[in-house]
Amino acid sequence: MSFLAFFFIVISLLSFVLAQIILKRAMEATKTTGFRNVRFVWRIAAGIVLMAISFFLTVGLLQRFDLSYLYPFQGLSVIFITVTGAVVLKEKLNMRVAIGALLISVGIVLVSLS
Amino acid sequence: MQNRPSGFGNPWLQLALSVACVLVSEFFLKRGATDVADTDSAWSWTGVNGLASPLVWWAILLIIASFVSWLYVLRHIPITIAFPLSRVVDILVPLGCWIFLGESISTLRWCGIALVVVGLALVAKPIAQIEERL
Repeated sequence: MSFLAFFFIVISLLSFVLAQIILKRAMEATKTTGFRNVRFVWRIAAGIVLMAISFFLTVGLLQRFDLSYLYPFQGLSVIFITVTGAVVLKEKLNMRVAIGALLISVGIVLVSLS
Repeated sequence: MQNRPSGFGNPWLQLALSVACVLVSEFFLKRGATDVADTDSAWSWTGVNGLASPLVWWAILLIIASFVSWLYVLRHIPITIAFPLSRVVDILVPLGCWIFLGESISTLRWCGIALVVVGLALVAKPIAQIEERL
């Protein structure tokens, strides 16, 4: 794998994780502020732009690599989002959920590699 | 998660719908991207040339549908629970190929599927306990 491919995989993954966190924060806020809110619109727009960046980079990568080759990297998103959700969004993360997320990530990597 | 909507508005049903849309879109994306692959072009790294494939457009529609369901899920379920559960799609693809296409699954892949299932059970258990209390 070239440096360029690795670079695009990392950017795609980071865009996806950041988008999920921003979207979660936007939807969480609607419980108190509703949907007719400028901050809500901006957050949703930012989330969509980041998702679109991740999407098109993935399509570009799929033209060069097999889906099974790229999937292990997608598996890492489980760990990244779980940890980021706990740290940034202050969601409760007990040991059971943390181990569960880790097993899912490792499982996805094994499924992809075999 | 108190005052959780029921019926079609049930966030767990929406999570399942979101997963189903992602599952189908993954197959469409891979097929569509491969059909129009032009790896000689530098622009193809951006994936924009994939838009020439109708299957990629179908995949985009499914992704939009899954996105709407997912936003609804995010409003009601913590992301530390919802996102790991949504990755059940990663074992549904090989299982679907095994059940419907008769493809074989290696021992290592079965081990991976087992790990994901155990992980999903661990993540889902606290939710089951919360639901019982409601």
